[in-house]
Amino acid sequence: MIRKTLLLATALLALSSCRKTEDAGKTTVGFLLKSKGNQYFVTCEKGARAAAAELDIDLRVDGPISADPAKQNEIVENWITDGLDVIVAACENKDSISTALRKAQAAGIKVVTYDADAQEDARSFFANQATAKGIGEKLIDTAAEQMGGEGEFAIITGTLTSANLNLWIEAIKARQAEKYPNMKLVDVRPCDDQKDKAQQEATNLLSAHPNLKAIVAVCSPAVPGAAEAVKQAGKTGAVKVVGLGLPSENRAYIKEGVTQAIILWNPEDLGYLAVQAGVALAKGDLSKGAQTFGAGKLGELKVEGDSIILGEPVVFTKGNIDDFDF
Amino acid sequence: MIRGFSIRNLFARHEALLALVILLEVILFQALGRNFLTGGNVSNIFRHSVEIGLLALVMTPVILSGGIDLSVGSMMGLCAVVFGMLVKSSGLDPLSAACIAVCVGGLGGALNAGLIQRFKMPPLIVTLGTFSLFRGLAEALTKGSESYSGFSNGFLALGNSEIAGVPAQVWILAAAGFAVWFLVHRTTFGRSLRAIGYAPEGARYAGLPVGRTLGAAYVLAGAAAGLAAVILVARLGEARANAGTGYELLAITAVVLGGVSIFGGSGNVAGVALGWLALAILNNGLTRISDYEIMGEKISGVARELSGMLTGLLLLAALAVSAGTKTLALRRAAKQTAANTAPSP
Repeated sequence: MIRKTLLLATALLALSSCRKTEDAGKTTVGFLLKSKGNQYFVTCEKGARAAAAELDIDLRVDGPISADPAKQNEIVENWITDGLDVIVAACENKDSISTALRKAQAAGIKVVTYDADAQEDARSFFANQATAKGIGEKLIDTAAEQMGGEGEFAIITGTLTSANLNLWIEAIKARQAEKYPNMKLVDVRPCDDQKDKAQQEATNLLSAHPNLKAIVAVCSPAVPGAAEAVKQAGKTGAVKVVGLGLPSENRAYIKEGVTQAIILWNPEDLGYLAVQAGVALAKGDLSKGAQTFGAGKLGELKVEGDSIILGEPVVFTKGNIDDFDF
Repeated sequence: MIRGFSIRNLFARHEALLALVILLEVILFQALGRNFLTGGNVSNIFRHSVEIGLLALVMTPVILSGGIDLSVGSMMGLCAVVFGMLVKSSGLDPLSAACIAVCVGGLGGALNAGLIQRFKMPPLIVTLGTFSLFRGLAEALTKGSESYSGFSNGFLALGNSEIAGVPAQVWILAAAGFAVWFLVHRTTFGRSLRAIGYAPEGARYAGLPVGRTLGAAYVLAGAAAGLAAVILVARLGEARANAGTGYELLAITAVVLGGVSIFGGSGNVAGVALGWLALAILNNGLTRISDYEIMGEKISGVARELSGMLTGLLLLAALAVSAGTKTLALRRAAKQTAANTAPSP
């Protein structure tokens, strides 16, 4: 028994001496996801791989299987051990991941965040998918196009205290006052980020405002919620639904013509941008104080402070929704 | 006499089996993984599993006594939140706050013990209740979303620095390991635990302080959960209500893999340490294997997905082999006895 074990051990040790070696010259980038099962991040990864192929780098993709605050830190710590050149991270837990990312920076690894930022001193740049102004203006422009630039509309939001949603609503109001004077915002209702509550609120809005021409949903559960309400009230097409949401959650309503359009940034482009930025940072092509960043096929992008802005959100309609599977 | 000897032999064999498993893991991961046997990674293996190691150590006396404690993971969440609140909201120094967190853990353990004894409820049911209770309390205190961060560098060093080349928290684990070993194997407390695990009523008739002994085991488990919570917070730099989710089951896995009988009475601390190490190496090693190939097909990503499956297989296989050798040994012993007692011609 013991002799057999020893033989096996020797054989395996011999095997270990011939394992594959890494390309020494290539830049190695770790691409950290919030969670692996999330289609949104799978799409980000697609973009990251495209960038890696273009730049001829070694890309390692990893992330917790389900949201786990400790797992992301462990992955980063393992990458520090491996001596990676760059870490590109979407942060599940802003404060805890920053502990690990600071350690990585101390070890000489360049850090870029995307999708959800870490603390400012734990990374060099943040690949920012959208600004509040960009989202708000795109939403109201899309709604105005559907309404012909006039009539009553209402907003369904997440909660009335949500900071980022309120910024978007401010941007919507400012743009409407400036560009669409014949449109009128009649109400802003919260749905507590719940689809069924959004449906209830939308039903109430439909009966309270018979002249309503559009519902703008600024949080993602509210888009299918509002669509369901409009459909059940038999007002498909008469009351337009636009909002910010995932194509997968809204595909059916868009195809039925209940929801006219949703907007969202393209996660594939976001992953692509983040890897491009990380590699440029490692090569010294991107440094603090830059005003613009040339992100490969995405062209020249604006840099605000240490945020690289991805650009305008994409509008998803009946025509293009089948091109996206997240 | 013969029976006692063969059982001791058996335990030696179970630990040998675990040592073999660990050896195979090391060789396999060194062969297939990237940077597995490097100083940095070996540090990570230990650093990332100290919390579960602590829980497994104190779970050992509980299981030896024939009980179980499902609440330790949730207790970690509660203690992490209490610690974070004390430091960040009340401005207490981390050391005092850590002491209070450990006391809160001990109190929770006392609650478990009290309920088990006062109402004669099974430990499984009681700690299933406090499993929800403690986590729920942590979530209520933070309204589910608040978290505490921005701890001083001195405190974070507990989770992130090294002393004499070994991660700081591993020294704590080593000290705890020795303490639990001493308690279980070298004191009357340890003997009483096993006696209770074998036969609770018998132990009572023999005049053992059953209540006090069981109480101490659960209080110890709770207090260690508090300590594990503080160490986890120091490592992550953030205290949140979801700290330690699922850790209780990993700790129980390590204990059972280590050869402790889930019915109580038998098992030892060295086995638990080996069981824990086997799991820690498995979990780390799988993350070292990335972009691997199976039969010519390139699989991107890391092998972590396999960790749950392999942990399960390892546990079942180790228990099956152990049970198999036990049956074999008993049969052999029976044959021997029969031969010995056979009348001579």
